Amino acid sequence: MRDIVISQQHIRRELQIFFVCILVALAVNVYSIVHFKTHWTELFTTFHITLAVAAALFVLLALLRGIAVCGKRILRRKAGTPGAEQAGLSQKA
Amino acid sequence: MDPDLSSSSVLIGREHRRDFLKRLALVVGSSSLLAEMPWWSPLRAAPVSDSPADRVRIGLIGVGSRGNVHLAHLLRTPGVEIAALCDDYEPHLQAGLAKVKGAKGFSDYRQMLDMPGLDGVLIATPLYLHARMCLDAFSAGKNVFCEKSLAYTIEECQAIADAHRGSNKVFQIGHQRMFSPVFLRAYELVRNGTIGPVTQIRAYWHRNNNWRRPVPSPDLERRINWRLYRAYSCGLMTELASHHMQVANWYLGAYPISCAGFGSINYWKDGREVYDNVNLVYRYANGTSVVYDSMISNKFYGMEIQVMGPRGTIEAERGRIYSENPPPPAGIVQLINGIEHGFFDTVPIGGPSWVPDLKKDVSGDPLVDEKITDDGTALELAAYANSIRQGKPIPGMMEQACRAGVCVLMGETAMEQQKEIAWPEGFRI
Repeated sequence: MRDIVISQQHIRRELQIFFVCILVALAVNVYSIVHFKTHWTELFTTFHITLAVAAALFVLLALLRGIAVCGKRILRRKAGTPGAEQAGLSQKA
Repeated sequence: MDPDLSSSSVLIGREHRRDFLKRLALVVGSSSLLAEMPWWSPLRAAPVSDSPADRVRIGLIGVGSRGNVHLAHLLRTPGVEIAALCDDYEPHLQAGLAKVKGAKGFSDYRQMLDMPGLDGVLIATPLYLHARMCLDAFSAGKNVFCEKSLAYTIEECQAIADAHRGSNKVFQIGHQRMFSPVFLRAYELVRNGTIGPVTQIRAYWHRNNNWRRPVPSPDLERRINWRLYRAYSCGLMTELASHHMQVANWYLGAYPISCAGFGSINYWKDGREVYDNVNLVYRYANGTSVVYDSMISNKFYGMEIQVMGPRGTIEAERGRIYSENPPPPAGIVQLINGIEHGFFDTVPIGGPSWVPDLKKDVSGDPLVDEKITDDGTALELAAYANSIRQGKPIPGMMEQACRAGVCVLMGETAMEQQKEIAWPEGFRI
């Protein structure tokens, strides 16, 4: 077992990504209101849905990022890239 | 002038009737609506005092299944004294007497009617006895509460109506939905046009059991399971359908001009004489139909009365209203639904317009926001007691009783004769 250290920088980056997700979800809500000609108050009354959409986007992004990291790791291991361990990508503890 | 609906003090379960009626006044809304339901007027009476002059002495005839429900309600109705109980089935009588201290027991209702000081009777006996008991009670100068359905034949319905007209006594029928706040709210929405003009009423009552009660010995079979034998009852029509036909007539403000239908015993072939499934259509003068069916071999759909119009549907038993054109959901919800449908829906080979008209799975809106425990029985008994106290017959009650009672007997005749049966000409209420 190894300790997982989540750095301040990491948290800040994740929060930034989630904030972007909220902005995207808000944009989707604005688009829906314009497209379906509904009321602008829905920006507030459906904020819980906006948050849910943002969370779904964040999870989707996390999955994609995870797949990307795994892919990179596999490629590096196959290529025997030196310095992979220093980059913290090794599985060794 | 708004009626003061909050001036009595009957307990309904754990709820105080004063509060209950206050809330009910809000539900019902306007005095003009109450004017259309005159049977509510006794509930506007002054509070019941502890004075013996305010006490109403009731005799209960029939202490079986429904009789026991009334007994329990009467015991909690202020100002009511259960003075006597009558049943010709000894175990029921003794069980009833054990619940009411000081009540006198009778096995013959005529002896009970001779009892001095008895203000009124409550008849909860098999259908074929209703008319005889009502007529004898009116002759004895008693006020009468009779369980539904009114009587076994149309002629008996007429005889009860005639006897009541000449008696100036209180008459009440056991159609408790007339006093149910949920049904009142549904009536208000029907009358104010929320669902548009009523174009059809569909009602059904489905169960999945043999409708039998346990019998201690075979010689008691017909006495205990009287609902299954044609000599005592018209089965599903008089024992169940009468409730929904009363509501249908009340909501439409009319009685049917004719009816047709079919019935049979297609599952419970156990010696019973009444149909185990009935299917009828009642036709009204304005072109509206009431479609009714009842069965006891499947309970999936349970029971319901659906009042339909071009703008909505009311399901009164469930206490919900469904708009035909509900407001669209929020834009973002529409967008998500659209994406979801795009991914998961299958398009019929003939194009989107060939999607089957399946029932939309919508939850609708509640008719009444609060949970109301009384199905109307407590209030109908309170109204009966108040009417006796005031010495005034309950307006509109006999009309409701006769219309529903005659309707179900028309239906029974239509099924037996397999032809369309018209409303009896010259029937006087």
